[in-house]
Amino acid sequence: MGDDEIAELLDSPERLVTVSAPAGCGKTYQGALYAARALANLNRGRVLILTHTHAACNVFASATSSVSARVEIKTLDAFIVEIARIYHRPLDLPSDPAAWAQGQDGDFAVIAERVAGLLVSRPMVATALARRYPVIIGDEHQDSSSAQHQLMMSLHSAGTVMRLFGDRMQTLYGNKTAAERQADQVRWDELGDKGKIGTLSNPHRWHDGSVDLGRWILRAREALENGEAVDLREPLPEGLGVIRVENRSQRHNDFWLNPDDRRPIDAKINRLPSMLVLSRNNDTVKSLRVFWNRRYSIWEGHTRYALTELLSALELDCGNVVALANATVSFLQKTCKGFANRSHADRFLREAREGCISSARGKPALLQAMAKELVDRPNHIGVSRCLQLLNRFVSEEAGGFTEIKIDYRREFRDAVSLGDFSDSSIALREINRRRAFIRPMPPGKALSTIHKAKGMECDHAIIMPCDRKSFSNSAISRCLLYVALSRAKRSLTLIVPHDDPSPLLILD
Amino acid sequence: MPDSARIYKLIIKRFRGIETLEWTPALGMNVLLGGGDTGKSTILDALRLLLHPSNHVSVSEFDYWKRQHDDEFAIEAIISLPDSTEIGHQQKFAWPWQWNGHEAVVPSVDEGGAEDSEPVYRIRAIGTTDLEMSWEIVQPNEETNSLSAAVRRKIGVVRLTNDTRNDRDLRLVYGSALDRLVADPALRGRLGRRLSEIDLQTELGDDSIAALATLDNTLAAEQLPHNLALGLTSSQGLSIGALTGLVATDSSGTQLPLASWGSGTRRMVTLQIAKATEANTRITIIDEIERGLEPYRLRNLTHSLLNDGVQGFITTHSAVAISAMADAHLWYLDSGGQIGELQGADIARQQQRDAETFLAKLAVICEGVTEMGFLSVLLERGIEGDYRNYGIHLADGKGNDSTLALLKSLNGAGLQFAGFADDEGRDPGQWRDLKASMGHRLFQWPDQCCSEEAVIGTIGDENLHLLLRDDDGDLIGDRMRTLATRIGSQTKTLEAIEESCTRNDMTLRQLIIEAATGKAPDCLERPQRKEWKAHAKQWFKSELGGRELACHMFRLGGWPALKSILLPHVNAIRLVVELPEIENIRNG
Repeated sequence: MGDDEIAELLDSPERLVTVSAPAGCGKTYQGALYAARALANLNRGRVLILTHTHAACNVFASATSSVSARVEIKTLDAFIVEIARIYHRPLDLPSDPAAWAQGQDGDFAVIAERVAGLLVSRPMVATALARRYPVIIGDEHQDSSSAQHQLMMSLHSAGTVMRLFGDRMQTLYGNKTAAERQADQVRWDELGDKGKIGTLSNPHRWHDGSVDLGRWILRAREALENGEAVDLREPLPEGLGVIRVENRSQRHNDFWLNPDDRRPIDAKINRLPSMLVLSRNNDTVKSLRVFWNRRYSIWEGHTRYALTELLSALELDCGNVVALANATVSFLQKTCKGFANRSHADRFLREAREGCISSARGKPALLQAMAKELVDRPNHIGVSRCLQLLNRFVSEEAGGFTEIKIDYRREFRDAVSLGDFSDSSIALREINRRRAFIRPMPPGKALSTIHKAKGMECDHAIIMPCDRKSFSNSAISRCLLYVALSRAKRSLTLIVPHDDPSPLLILD
Repeated sequence: MPDSARIYKLIIKRFRGIETLEWTPALGMNVLLGGGDTGKSTILDALRLLLHPSNHVSVSEFDYWKRQHDDEFAIEAIISLPDSTEIGHQQKFAWPWQWNGHEAVVPSVDEGGAEDSEPVYRIRAIGTTDLEMSWEIVQPNEETNSLSAAVRRKIGVVRLTNDTRNDRDLRLVYGSALDRLVADPALRGRLGRRLSEIDLQTELGDDSIAALATLDNTLAAEQLPHNLALGLTSSQGLSIGALTGLVATDSSGTQLPLASWGSGTRRMVTLQIAKATEANTRITIIDEIERGLEPYRLRNLTHSLLNDGVQGFITTHSAVAISAMADAHLWYLDSGGQIGELQGADIARQQQRDAETFLAKLAVICEGVTEMGFLSVLLERGIEGDYRNYGIHLADGKGNDSTLALLKSLNGAGLQFAGFADDEGRDPGQWRDLKASMGHRLFQWPDQCCSEEAVIGTIGDENLHLLLRDDDGDLIGDRMRTLATRIGSQTKTLEAIEESCTRNDMTLRQLIIEAATGKAPDCLERPQRKEWKAHAKQWFKSELGGRELACHMFRLGGWPALKSILLPHVNAIRLVVELPEIENIRNG
């Protein structure tokens, strides 16, 4: 459908409209313009834009900044947590559900389920919300869980005009079971039954890049959606390139090339002003950082998995030196390179266990100093000071610490800042709050997992490696491949092995 | 439930004379009763403060309980609010609570199938220890956010205070009835601009111009701002809105501000202005509704209020107003700050028949007219001066059963009252319970006795005939006829009747008691039964009759025998009106 037709559909009196939105087709633009028009027609109340990620909040915030304070943009989780916080007693949740969920490995699912239950059984709460938000724009609806979907539908029943944007081909989050995928199908059908569905088809993102590439990506999307493979045979559109090289690393999820093989890739990156390198696996991303000799940083996205784990250990094991030392090691190994068991961690743990009594010199003495902080203060302050010490040793290139590199600098910095707070749960809340407001963007050249790149756009992207391990013939792989394909607007390069390439690609 | 502004519950803590008060008012019209300084106006003032349309309100130490302002006072309401008040559109969202019939509860998921009720909000006005007011909304997780004046302004509190000079609602003051009616926030600004265009300079006389010129020179010489002229300058405290009000043209063609009309007219006009705005955001608060109004205008006003369908809070000292408030809920506030509803069919009847019952300092519900007459004589003798001046009001309970019902309803509401009744042998348990709660304030003749029987039983045989004579000593023909009819005597002389009595093995006393109480044996046919029952009217079954009976008691020597049971009742009544106990009542 053309953009005007979509705008007309959005403006129609239809109370539920779902817009199927392939990447780069101006979904945010359409949504933001619609928000402004909807607001102009509202006597009272606000337009609420609900996204799934802070990154998407960021995008909508800049697209709607001229509108008014009566447009609220927040993540669906934040919206749900706010309801849960107010009604925490009947929902049988603690008074700060956000901190609680962080402690449960960041699992907001329980909260979403209970809140959805409340809104369904108490329409008066939904009605009150529907009056405040007569119009809700839901972004990336494909990423909504059943509970989140149910919650949106209860607001719709209570009178809210619902405009949902989503792309089934960009469904990523969670390892969905067959039953859950089936439920997703039912949900899309329900949206069609209850309201109208439109499809965006104008590849705006590529208008100032490679228009051919944009059209080719839409075709690739169609193929992936229909269970077919993506055609990479010549002629390729302008901007699309395929480089066939073999990964020489024997280790799982690791990546290494022969000098000859890497030359064209290096040349490409060096020539271009920016580049986003996309890989499916976290470990591959880390190995690519080594591959380019740490020249490019890892885009950390907006989540802090390692920090979250560290915080839940602080909550559980406050006062227990050994447990906190283990949690610290685990955090360091996730965020840094080089703090290996044999070289550092074993000695560090021994010092913590023994209470730092042995006399030591050189590297062991420094590790002992780190452990001493934990022995003295087995709490979040001790952990913070311990990490601070490590940071100093690394930056001063102290003996035995030169091989340690901090890969996840933001996460590391957040962990150090724990020491500024009197209480670790307050710290978590504050760190989350800052992250929600600052909304950092990736640097010019960066490495990222596909997950963390979702919702972002860039000029140039490389997807590597496009082997069977990364993209097998499964629904989730199809979605991941499509998300990776649709990030770049000027050039897209796929690094494909001769040996066992992804079955989702049709090669020569 | 209508989507409108209604107060479901009011909780006052440490405000003026009220230490604590919890009240679940009716959603319609509430009339607050209670003798004297019992805090009715304080409740209305609390409501006004809670819903005050601006943040500029001064509190003094007198607003704090016992003048102790080192502790806060709080006025909290559980209130339903329509969307048009913008309650859901403040910066921070106001999350709804659920009304369960008694209090606001957090809506829960697991009460399977429980009905979804109307959402309510908890709002609160706090008098801080710094003598400042703050308004807040209490969220279901007990967090508080501020409640903006904008929302309070949207709740149209129609307030008629007992301050006769108050004409705020007839002026264009923020949140006034006129302001809401005009509903043009930009009007003040436009008026201000127009005013500033007036050239005042042309209005000045020559002398004034010369004086200004001199000043101008002086200022210039002193290097102070000069080049002076007269212009309109804004001043603090006096706004254009306050200067703008309704004017009306009278019969002579003169324009007069409505504020200069009589207080009754001003109040009627204010209510009409308020009624012209949306009903669902309106709450009416009227202190002393009768003020400035003749009974007919008062009746018109109350009817118009009741038909308006909004929630109202009214105090009154007027029996006319109470009897006109047929569909209103009556509440009684006692001196201890307890508030109870006067409810039931018997209360409604009494409201129509004798509204003064609810306005007296002490209402005595008498079983019938005889008892009213009897007790009035007792009180005339037992209380120095006129007992009415003490706020004692005798009311007719219209029979034994309805008296019992009324007494029970009054007892439930905590009203100060007394009762005077016969013992007809019915509902002994209920009377016993009442007696236990009321003590000597409830008088009941003992041993299944009525007033007539009790008094006549104490009069000596030699004086019995005096009951048959008027003040001049002549026999009363109608009473003689009742005796003759009953005893079957053809002759209506006293001798003939006494003779018949002897023949029928009956004393004259028994005969008189039967006639005076209208006793009619079951064996009689209907018309005759009716006639025999009507005999009582010829004797003491009227207010005058009751008075006569009491006079007989004192004159004919009955008092010493009845003193022991009647005097405690008189003393109980004296106690309520703060008179000391007495040992006896003058006899004869």
